[in-house]
Amino acid sequence: MPDDALDPLIHVPTRLKIVATLAALPEGDTLSFTRLQDMIGLTPGNLIIHLRKLEEADYIASEKTRNGTVSITNVALTGHGRKALDNYTHALRDLLGDHL
Amino acid sequence: MNHTSDTAAGNGDTFSPQQAAALLDEATWDARRKLVPNPPWVLVTRGVLVLAACGAVWLSVRGENPYTGPTNADIPILIAFIVLNSALAVGFRRRAGAGVSGPSRLRPAEIAIATLAWIAAAALLVALAAAGLSYRLYPTVVLIIPGLTWAILMMLRKNWRGVYSGASVTVVGALGLLATPAGAWLVAGVGLCAALSGGAALNAWYQRA
Repeated sequence: MPDDALDPLIHVPTRLKIVATLAALPEGDTLSFTRLQDMIGLTPGNLIIHLRKLEEADYIASEKTRNGTVSITNVALTGHGRKALDNYTHALRDLLGDHL
Repeated sequence: MNHTSDTAAGNGDTFSPQQAAALLDEATWDARRKLVPNPPWVLVTRGVLVLAACGAVWLSVRGENPYTGPTNADIPILIAFIVLNSALAVGFRRRAGAGVSGPSRLRPAEIAIATLAWIAAAALLVALAAAGLSYRLYPTVVLIIPGLTWAILMMLRKNWRGVYSGASVTVVGALGLLATPAGAWLVAGVGLCAALSGGAALNAWYQRA
């Protein structure tokens, strides 16, 4: 199986980390932008760039809420994103045999 | 929407499937480790603490004839231990849940029910004492109501690791009723230590799965 069977949107180290991190949340849960940034270890600007790309593909959904004067952005993997990660994982398994 | 190329954001062209597999594995494990409210090492530590506390009481009361139970000086130590253990559990749960919102978080009603279960357990102890049955005779009875309540709450959420926690605490509480009063302290120590260690093994398996 060629490498291009891997979803190019996920097959980027940073985005793979983002998607894998969000997939570790129970279904329906969201993670705040700041916690995600803390867990992944990215600058806010870099994280925003990758989140936008994932959001454009409907792999993640983000929602802004206001708590008094503070604005909080929460992000979550969508059902479509979860399925894309599953497909990506299966494609990796097929490529690598039993090594995954 | 501001479009940015993958070249600026990190190009995947030189990212091999082997590297991807390793990164996926590591990122999943790392995220689960950070998000799990009860890390395995915390559960094992709590297990050792409970074994030490209940074991110490058992050592002090096992030779009593007739059995009189722990001395009044032991009670503040036991209470301090319960507070420390609860603080550890709550502290790590809060840290893991920082920034997380959604259905997996405990709802205020569930927190209220769990708190009421502990109050009910304390009320039961008072009622038993009024009936001449000191907690010293049935020290593990305090575990049954909160354990059962937690198991039911977690069952409603289909959180099977939570069900295990509540059910195992309930079983230890029930087994303690079958032991001698002095032996009940040993049952509590060994049983809760085993339950917490089992929980640690479950969480470690989940993190690796």
